[in-house]
Amino acid sequence: MATQDRFTTALRQNKAWAAQISKENPDLFRKLSAGQHPEILWIGCSDSRCPETTLLGLNPGDVFVHRNIANILQPSDLSSTSVIEYAVRHLGVKHVVVCGHTNCGGVSAVMANKQLGVLDSWLLPLRKLRDTNASRLKSLPADKALLQLVELNVLAGVKTVKQKSVVAEAMKKGLKVHGLVYDVGSGVLQELDTSVSDKVVRKRLTLFKKEV
Amino acid sequence: MLRRLTTRFPLRPLQTAALRPQFLATAPYCTHPTPKMPDTTDPKAVSRYLEQTHEKIFESNRAWVAAKKDADPEFFDKLAAGQAPEYLYIGCSDSRVPANEIMGLDAGEVFVHRNIANVVPTIDLSAMSVINYAVRHLKVKHIVVCGHYNCGGVKAALTPTDLGILNPWLRNIRDVYRLHEKELDAIENDEERFNRLVELNVVESCRSVIKTAVVQQSYEENSFPIVHGWVFNLKDGLLKDLKIDFPGMLADIQKIYNLTKG
Repeated sequence: MATQDRFTTALRQNKAWAAQISKENPDLFRKLSAGQHPEILWIGCSDSRCPETTLLGLNPGDVFVHRNIANILQPSDLSSTSVIEYAVRHLGVKHVVVCGHTNCGGVSAVMANKQLGVLDSWLLPLRKLRDTNASRLKSLPADKALLQLVELNVLAGVKTVKQKSVVAEAMKKGLKVHGLVYDVGSGVLQELDTSVSDKVVRKRLTLFKKEV
Repeated sequence: MLRRLTTRFPLRPLQTAALRPQFLATAPYCTHPTPKMPDTTDPKAVSRYLEQTHEKIFESNRAWVAAKKDADPEFFDKLAAGQAPEYLYIGCSDSRVPANEIMGLDAGEVFVHRNIANVVPTIDLSAMSVINYAVRHLKVKHIVVCGHYNCGGVKAALTPTDLGILNPWLRNIRDVYRLHEKELDAIENDEERFNRLVELNVVESCRSVIKTAVVQQSYEENSFPIVHGWVFNLKDGLLKDLKIDFPGMLADIQKIYNLTKG
């Protein structure tokens, strides 16, 4: 069966990978088996063109990773909430990165108003974002509008992350939250200005401050 | 409580790109020295350290881009044209298990979903959307659920502790224990029991993937995707194939969960 061959290839390449890593860094796997201490939590898209550890030029053990469709962060999504909780509270990461990317299938589907069954529910926050910013997006050429929605989605994700109690508390102790866009056509990462959402965090902290 | 791990592994990129076989995607690119974490009582030094570790990401990203272009000037043009991955990989968020790297695969080859302890809960819209997109729109040929020994999430689920918002997520793993209680309780050695729960958690996630309508329908129509269960061993970097009997598991599941009729 042809598909079985591809599968065997991956398993074979794993052996080569493990051997190569061991050769270059004989202590790495021994250290890794003792525990992880990543400094970065990466929240990105499932898209195969965005392999975080590879494109960051980092090693196994460096990046804690959550990847879902179109890097959408919904406040009530238990999957991403659990990842953020574990990474920030229990692993004590120092950076949280929300990374979108160009040519994102999820974003394109939303811009094109496609109906995708089960996925429509998942993509709803993105559709809402499009509606909220409709006039701005309509004024742009198609490719620029797509990129704009990618950026808006990252900024919305950063805001969701910063609004979580565990993150707000950790930010007081130095945790940084970043919004990035990865260009699949050049491999380059760009950072977005996410300072706007800091106001939201301050407001939230004030609102929840206990009266003494 | 989750045990805070003391062994520190700083951001330290590999330096010997020339030694690697072409297909290996692992990035050995950044030569920038790794800053040392300063004394936490000095806020200015901590802030500087955070800036440096952040800037380092961009530096090694640029170095990776340069190396890829060097090897294949059209690498990114091809990626920009679209993705056609053969694999969907569902794995753990754990930093020590970078999906495409452990498979020796490059950008564009694996669609990836990673969450705490590679659980695939029926009502998790995130995982269900990933499976749906990968099977229906990308037409992946293989779905791999990959766990790993020494998994913090599985360990936490073995601990009688309230972990707040993590409780509902970890309950999925406690349920795996309950399903296989007899087998697990019969294992006397703690580490062996832990390892077996890691494996059984993978098997149950595979079962959950196979229960989806999109997998059943696509398999009936196209004879793909097939579902695999793997466990990654942190001690040597090797993958173990649990050799899930996909057709057998599918037939078994379809007694009750048959969703092939549209």
